[in-house]
Amino acid sequence: MPPHGPGETGFLREAIMRIESGGQGAAPRFASGNNQRTRNITLGPAPASGGIKGATGGTHLDHVLRGVVARGALHEIVAASPGDAAAASGFALALAARFAAAFHASAPIIWIIEDHAKAETGAPYAPGLAAHGIDPARLIVVETANGQDSLWAMEEALKCRAVAAVAAEIWRLKSYDLAASRRLVLAAKKSGTPGLMVPSSFAGMAQKLSSAAQARFEVRARPGRHGASAGERMPLPGCAAWEIRAARIRAGPEGNRLNLDHNRFWPVLWDHEEAYFRDAFPLPLSAPARHGPDYAQARSA
Amino acid sequence: MNEGAARLGLKTGLALADARAMVPTLAIHDADPSGDTETLLALADWCKLFTPLAATDGPNGIVLDITGAAHLFGGESALIATITQRLGRQGFGARAAIAGTPAAAWAIARHGGQNNIVPEKTPEAALAKIFGAMPLAALRIETHVVAELGQAGLRRIGDLLLRPRAPIVARFGSNVFDRLDELLGRARSPISPRFDAPAFIAERRFAEGLTHRDHIETAILALCTDLCGLLARHGEGARRLDVSLFRVDGAVKHIAAGTSRPLRDPKAMARLFHERIETIGEDGLETGYGFDVIRLAALSAERLDAAQGCFDTNEASASLDDLVDRLGARFGLARITQLVPRDTHHPEQASAASPVHLRPPTPRDHPLPLLAASWPTASWDHGGDEQVPALPERPIRLLRRPEPIDTIAGVPDGPPLRFRWRRVMHQVAAIEGPERIAPEWWKGTALARDYFRAEDTAGQRFWLYREGLYQETPDPRWFMHGLFA
Repeated sequence: MPPHGPGETGFLREAIMRIESGGQGAAPRFASGNNQRTRNITLGPAPASGGIKGATGGTHLDHVLRGVVARGALHEIVAASPGDAAAASGFALALAARFAAAFHASAPIIWIIEDHAKAETGAPYAPGLAAHGIDPARLIVVETANGQDSLWAMEEALKCRAVAAVAAEIWRLKSYDLAASRRLVLAAKKSGTPGLMVPSSFAGMAQKLSSAAQARFEVRARPGRHGASAGERMPLPGCAAWEIRAARIRAGPEGNRLNLDHNRFWPVLWDHEEAYFRDAFPLPLSAPARHGPDYAQARSA
Repeated sequence: MNEGAARLGLKTGLALADARAMVPTLAIHDADPSGDTETLLALADWCKLFTPLAATDGPNGIVLDITGAAHLFGGESALIATITQRLGRQGFGARAAIAGTPAAAWAIARHGGQNNIVPEKTPEAALAKIFGAMPLAALRIETHVVAELGQAGLRRIGDLLLRPRAPIVARFGSNVFDRLDELLGRARSPISPRFDAPAFIAERRFAEGLTHRDHIETAILALCTDLCGLLARHGEGARRLDVSLFRVDGAVKHIAAGTSRPLRDPKAMARLFHERIETIGEDGLETGYGFDVIRLAALSAERLDAAQGCFDTNEASASLDDLVDRLGARFGLARITQLVPRDTHHPEQASAASPVHLRPPTPRDHPLPLLAASWPTASWDHGGDEQVPALPERPIRLLRRPEPIDTIAGVPDGPPLRFRWRRVMHQVAAIEGPERIAPEWWKGTALARDYFRAEDTAGQRFWLYREGLYQETPDPRWFMHGLFA
């Protein structure tokens, strides 16, 4: 087979992206050109993925995530401020839940957590995790004493193919740098297991961090869509919502094509009932996603 | 009191002043019973060089069951010589004896003469002759019984042998004759070994002590291969493993490793010990003059049928178990947990962390036999046509203990308008509650809690509560308990 010139592969990738954005849920998705074994996750219910578009005028975050957040790679989730640590871990767990949903039915999520983190942002709480869209029975929590141990545990876990996703929250770490993250990236690439790193000690320093991760997101909490309450009282809090900034994307073809604004925060909602990301603004078109087009006909009949 | 002191005529029980008067230059140390016990336990461990069944016996004795082990060391007399000689080199004076029962060996070691070996099938008459000359103390009965029997003119064991039993039993209990029967081999008494005798053992002896970590790990790998062969023949897999490193100078180092499933793969086994050694480090190993005997024991084993084929799920399951084992070897298996539900309304106790390796055995066809859990995920829409779910009822993170916060509320028992947590002021923008959780009345007198789910202006979401109702306490306090995503 003759080698393809860059122009040819570029054309093919364009074609694939066109198919994807056209909402062909079954079309194969590739992460970063070369590695065709990595499977991407879809970040919306499959039938409606074509419908979630355009509300923000530019490229939708769901679209960005679909192109970038791949299995077999390391992704970093950095809190925008120390107060957003819980939001960052919530977003990481939401991604893990998406990975788990797309992967083997009973493969576990591994969450590596330092003792210090438990004092800082609290221990994993199963009833809440269940409500967040993560089955606690599929979650294995590994407790470590320090960041060095966490890195080691994460590398070991990433080598394991039977794991849906590995998340690590790291607080006490002397050096998290290119070398340390490179090891994780290699382990992830080899096994195809996705790694989600939450370096909590680097809150607000997303720009200063240097690592080999494929993507780095900066996360901050965002007021959710409040529910109305009776009378003069305060409104009711809505479901989890964040503002996400793609601080750094290791550019594959998608990175170039999407022409991301790295300074822009994208608002996103986490629908914990259906376990997928939604646009934070009201979307008149996306509502009955789970019923599909047949539903309307059936109702009118 | 050591040997030299005994030669000077000192005796146990002598007053210190008297002893000083007799020997002015006497060196005195306080008694250290716990230290003695520790040393004795360490010695018992070391004695496992000779047999796996070693136990401490009283404050100053060790008893070994050498059934079937003596020939490995060149016979009983050679064994006894080796033990006393090697103990002597470590600086311990020891008297050793071999006999058919522990009681007999005890008596000979403490009250016997030159001949310290009583062969296995000695006739009872000969035994009676040997022991008959010994004082009653050799029976190992209470000292006051010995004294009272002495007053009756019974001083030697031989004096008891010819007496009718009934009157003595009536006066002193059956203990005296029980001991006598044990001594003469009429009754058997078991020894309770310091550790359970392991079911499977592999062992290597080296002419020269191993000091290098790499060499030790290579030896452990070889032992794992031996042990796995043994386990395979019995159709079992190891659950708890222990490596004993016997140092040349008598110290024994144990390295234990647990597994989350029956294990029979030498490489995986050796990897567990590699992790353990990694954690304790080269210094923690205390190689010193080197280890000359290394023993690997499977302390507990479970049935493990030969692996069948190589199906996908089995492989996945194995690699996951492998991961749990490796992490467990490094951090301790208790640190690898799964969250299990508990049937209580009390928020702190609604979820418990349970070590993964303790899960009940389940069929092999699941990649990871996970605990079936049923969590309440009830949540309702706020209404309207937007169809955005409400905030979940419970937070994803629960603080280790609730942290007190300062709050300002509009009305005394209303929800807070703003609060200060960890020195940061949060302005409440949206709030839902109260959800009242009453204490479990059968467990003491805690106060009822009113829980609120609050969102501040920055969008951070919190789970707070007020402890105590206004009827219950005049001054209810507020706490931060958890964080939402």
